[in-house]
Amino acid sequence: MLNLTEKAWSPYIAGAIIGLLQIPTFLLMDTALGASSSYVTVAAHIAALFDSRVTEIKYLASHMWGAKNWWQVAVVVGIALGAFLSMRLSGARRQSISPVWRRVTGATTLASRAPLAFLAGFIMLFGARIAGGCTSGHGISGMAQLSIGSTLAVAAMFAGGILTAMLMKRA
Amino acid sequence: MSLLNAILIGLATGIVFGFALEKSRVFEPGIIFGQMQLRNFIMLKMFFAAVIAGLIVIAVMHGAYGVKLNLKPLLFKADIIGGLILGVGVALAGACPGTTLAQIGAGYRDAWFVLLGGLTGALVYGYFDAPISAFFNESGQRVGLDQLLGLPFWSVALGFAVVLVFVLIILERQWAWPNEIGRNYDGLKESDSNAATDGQAKS
Repeated sequence: MLNLTEKAWSPYIAGAIIGLLQIPTFLLMDTALGASSSYVTVAAHIAALFDSRVTEIKYLASHMWGAKNWWQVAVVVGIALGAFLSMRLSGARRQSISPVWRRVTGATTLASRAPLAFLAGFIMLFGARIAGGCTSGHGISGMAQLSIGSTLAVAAMFAGGILTAMLMKRA
Repeated sequence: MSLLNAILIGLATGIVFGFALEKSRVFEPGIIFGQMQLRNFIMLKMFFAAVIAGLIVIAVMHGAYGVKLNLKPLLFKADIIGGLILGVGVALAGACPGTTLAQIGAGYRDAWFVLLGGLTGALVYGYFDAPISAFFNESGQRVGLDQLLGLPFWSVALGFAVVLVFVLIILERQWAWPNEIGRNYDGLKESDSNAATDGQAKS
């Protein structure tokens, strides 16, 4: 039914598969799917190599150890592995940057795209940590639990994204 | 739960997640940025499909087997301001925190810079968590729509799932997904995707 060598599946099938991943996550890990706090876990460990005070900062220290934190790091590493596997099976190889950036920002090379990519990542995770979740944690998981706060955060995320994208050139 | 088991479960979950993300094409900057310009709706379709499946399985797990929910507390200012900032980043990155890793797996090299920026942003937030939290000065309850309505979780969850199914039917009628994928599977429309295929590595 699902051909692993196809380049694209229906977004409805793919989305449903992702939603079903709540089953092992709730039953085995007693948590919901998420991605953005794994950035804190990894960043805190890297920072700890240079700054011994990291472990004294409650927020950072609380993300450094324990099964749930490392489970989420494993999830995002798995996402990269799964996407790589799928791409190799279908042969949908990508260029070093998406052609969308040439039209929107004029960037045609990795070097010309890199500064905005870094800044974008910074803004994205800084916002996600203020909100306490991202498109996965607030979006896929929070909305599936009828959370009012998560629904608010997702609405704000789309508002911020749409406002920003509308101010830029047409893709 | 031992650390090793948690990591193995996480890896297995992530591999399925990443595989499905790649097949859905919702890691493509063209699709995520296109969604934010309201020119491509594949991201919203995949997102709502994931929410619908989640609503159904969580309704069953919670309603029939008493598995406990994991809601985040409702923090008005932090949710709205953090969400807005996150959205700005998503548009500029053409990615979210999870899809950045899928982009890396699929071969977009700029995603490494998004990842690096993301780690830096998460760390800077971590250092300033105390003053930022003090500034927002909020303590929140875990509030769900079911509680506001005074109805059982499973009934509201299944009702919301039905509403979202109707939203998807309307979206699909308006913009059929096979027409949105693009010739090069990057969400860029036929008329202007010539440049997308030039220099494309042949596999």
